[in-house]
Amino acid sequence: MKQTEDNTQDQEDLRLLRESAQTLFARAGGSDRARKLRDAGGRWGDGMITELAGAGVFGVAVPEENGGLGMGLAAAGVLAEEAGRVIAPEPVVATIGLTIGLLYRLCPDHGMLEKAIGGETVLATAWQERGAAGVAPGRDCRFAGGRLTGAKAWIAGAVGADGYLVVAEGDGGAVLAYAEAGAAGLNVEGRRQADGSALGELSFSATPAELLAEGAAVEAALAEAVSDTTALAAAELVGLSGRAFEIVLDYVKTREQFDKPIGAFQVIQHRATDLYVMQEVAHAAVREVLSSMDRAAAGPQARARLASRAKARAGAAAKKITRDAVQLHGAVGYTDEFDIGLFLNRALVLSAWLGDDTYHRRLWLDARDKEGAER
Amino acid sequence: MTDWNAMTDENFRREVHQFFESEYPEELRHLPHRPTFAEVAHWHRKLHAKGWVAPAWPAEYGGMGLSAAKLLIFYEEQQRWGVNRGRDMGVQMVGPLIIKFGTQTQKDYWLPRILSCEDIWCQGYSEPGAGSDLANLRTRAEIDGDDFVINGQKIWTTMAHDATHIFMLVRTDPDAPKKQQGISFILAPMDQPGVEVRTIRTLAGETEFCEVFFDDARTPRANLVGELNKGWTMAKALLSFERIFIGSPSLAQNALGQLEVFARGRGAFDDPVFRDRFAQAALDVEDHAALYSRFADQLKRGETLGADVSMLKIWVTECFQRITELMIEAAGPDGGTIGPLQVGNVSVDVLASFYKARPTTIYGGSNEIQRNILSKAVLGLPG
Repeated sequence: MKQTEDNTQDQEDLRLLRESAQTLFARAGGSDRARKLRDAGGRWGDGMITELAGAGVFGVAVPEENGGLGMGLAAAGVLAEEAGRVIAPEPVVATIGLTIGLLYRLCPDHGMLEKAIGGETVLATAWQERGAAGVAPGRDCRFAGGRLTGAKAWIAGAVGADGYLVVAEGDGGAVLAYAEAGAAGLNVEGRRQADGSALGELSFSATPAELLAEGAAVEAALAEAVSDTTALAAAELVGLSGRAFEIVLDYVKTREQFDKPIGAFQVIQHRATDLYVMQEVAHAAVREVLSSMDRAAAGPQARARLASRAKARAGAAAKKITRDAVQLHGAVGYTDEFDIGLFLNRALVLSAWLGDDTYHRRLWLDARDKEGAER
Repeated sequence: MTDWNAMTDENFRREVHQFFESEYPEELRHLPHRPTFAEVAHWHRKLHAKGWVAPAWPAEYGGMGLSAAKLLIFYEEQQRWGVNRGRDMGVQMVGPLIIKFGTQTQKDYWLPRILSCEDIWCQGYSEPGAGSDLANLRTRAEIDGDDFVINGQKIWTTMAHDATHIFMLVRTDPDAPKKQQGISFILAPMDQPGVEVRTIRTLAGETEFCEVFFDDARTPRANLVGELNKGWTMAKALLSFERIFIGSPSLAQNALGQLEVFARGRGAFDDPVFRDRFAQAALDVEDHAALYSRFADQLKRGETLGADVSMLKIWVTECFQRITELMIEAAGPDGGTIGPLQVGNVSVDVLASFYKARPTTIYGGSNEIQRNILSKAVLGLPG
C-alpha cells in the first residue's frame, strides 16, 4: 500500500513538472521559436535558460544532497520529451546529462554545479575527439601544468557557452578540466547542423584550465553521464516524433484531394497507423529504459546497454516518422514553410548525435553478449 | 479454496511454475502442433484434479477466479514452460459466454462438462463469405418446433474433427435491416447425420483446420445462448480479454530464444549483417514487451482496454514472422528442410516455426483489419 501511495505521489510530481515545462515552452512560442532562432543564427536566448532553471529543469536528476530535485532520469526524460515536442534550441539534454551529470558526480561542492543548476552559467561539455574515420577511439587532448592542448569535437551548445568542461588526458589518466570561454589559445568553431543549431569544434593550445577531477573516477563518471545523456536524447527524440505524428495526423484529416480528406484513403490510414504503432512502441520502450536506469540495481554496464536500447529505438522511430510525415504532406512537406520539415531536420541531428540506431544496436548486442559471457 | 488473488504476484508465479514443472508431461512441452484431446488427456486429468482447468472462471463455477493480473501471470508461466493449452475452446469461449449470458439450467448442465472435457468444443464463426467481414455470415438457423434447423457452412473451424460440440454464430433473422442484427449464438452437437466435417490441409502439412457442413442439422431451442438475434453484441463482448492475449510477447520471445540457439550453433553471430538484424529483432521483442506491460498495468488497475490494444497484435505477430524468417536464413541451404535441424546438442525445427508464424497475422482479425480499427477508432481518420 505504501508503495502505491509513493507511486501515486511520484506520478503527480511528474505530471506537475511536465505541465510547468509545457507552459514554459508554450509561452516562449512553441515550435515557432525553432524556426526564428534558426534564422537568427542559432543562438538561444538567455532568458529561456533562466526560466528553465527556475522551473527546476536542470537539477531534476541531481540528488537532493547536491542541491537538485532528486527525481531521477525518468523525470528528466519527461522534460526532454517536452523539449523535443517544441524542438527547443536550448541544450537541455546536454546540460542535464553531460555537464551537470559530470559536475554532481565529480565535484558536487564546486560552486560551478550550483550555478549550472541555477542557469547562471551555461557550460558545454567536450569529451569526444575527431579521428580519421569519425569518433577517435582514444584521447589526444592533453592536460598538463594547468594547460590544455588538443582538440575536441561534436560539442552540443558550444557556441555561446560561458565555459567548457573538457575531458582530457593527464599524467595520471583522465582529467576533467574547466576552460573559460575566451581563454587564451582557445578556438571555438560551430559547425552548422541541419536544424540550425551548431555542434562545436574546440581547439586548445596551451589554454589555461582549472583541474576539477582526475583519475578513474573521471572515466566512471563520464561513462555514466554519457549513458544518461544518450537515454535522455532518446526521450527528446520520442517527444519530437510524437509531435511530428500529431502534425501529420492532423494534416491528413484536413487536406482534401479527390473530394475527400486524404486520410479517408486506406493506404494513408494504414501508413499513419504504422507510424502510430512505431511511436507507441518507442515511447513505452524509452520510458521503461529510464525507469530501469533509475533503479539502484542497474550497474554501469547494464545502464549503458539500456541507454543504447533507448537510442536505437527512438532514433529509428523518429527518422522513419518524420520522413514518412514529409511524404504524407506531399509537395508542401518539402517546403520550409511547413513545420514538419523542422522536425525532420531536428531528428537528423539528434539521431546522429551520440550515435544513430545502427551504432547503438551494435553496442547493445555487444553488451548483451558480454554480460551473457560473464554470467 | 485458495484465494489466489490474495497472494503476492511473485508467490503466485512460483506456485504456478512449480506445478507445471513438476506435473506437466515432458513429451508435451513446446508441442509444435495442436494436439487431439486423446494426446493431452492425461495432462487434462491432472489439471482437472487440481482445479486449474479454467483460470479465468469465477470460483463458484469451478474456475480459479483469477484477477486479470494473476491471469496474465498464469498464461505467462504456461507459455514459458511450453505448456500446451489443450482443447481449451470450451474453457476460453463457451464457458465465459454461458457464464455471462446463459440461463441457470445452461450453466448447471454445460459448465461441469466443459471442465471435465466430457464435451470438447470447436468455434463456428468464419464462413467462406464471412472472414474479415464476419457479420456477412449466412449459415441459417430456423425454428422448427422445439429445435433449430441449421443449414450452411463454417470454415477454419479449428480441430472440428476432434470436437463433440460446436458453438456458432448463425443467422436467425435474414430480414434484419443491418447485417450485424439477426445473428444468434447457438450450441449444437457434432455427432448427428446433418453435420459433416472435412479437414483442410495447411501449408505446414497439418490438418488442424476444418470445414463444417450443415444440412438440416438440428439442435434444441434450449441451446440458444442469450437473446435471439443478439449474438453479434455478445461475440464482441467476449473478445475483450482475448485482445491483449493475442498480442502477448510470448510467441515471439520463444521464437527469438530458438533463433539465438540455432544461429549461435551455426556461427551466424560472427556475421555483422546477421548481428544487426538479430539485434533489431531482439529489440523489437523487448520494446514490445514494454508496451505490453503498459496495457497489462491498465488491466491490473481494473481499467477496460481500449481499441488501441490492437497495436500489440500488429507489432508482435509481424515481429514473430521476421524472427522465423531470420531462422530460415540462418539455416542457409537447410532453409527448406522439413523436420528438426541439429545444432550442437539441440535441435530446432526452423520450418515448423516459420509456418507457425504465418497465420498469426491472419487470425484473430487480420493485421489489415486491426489497422482499420486503429485508424478509425483510435486515430479518428474518416471514411
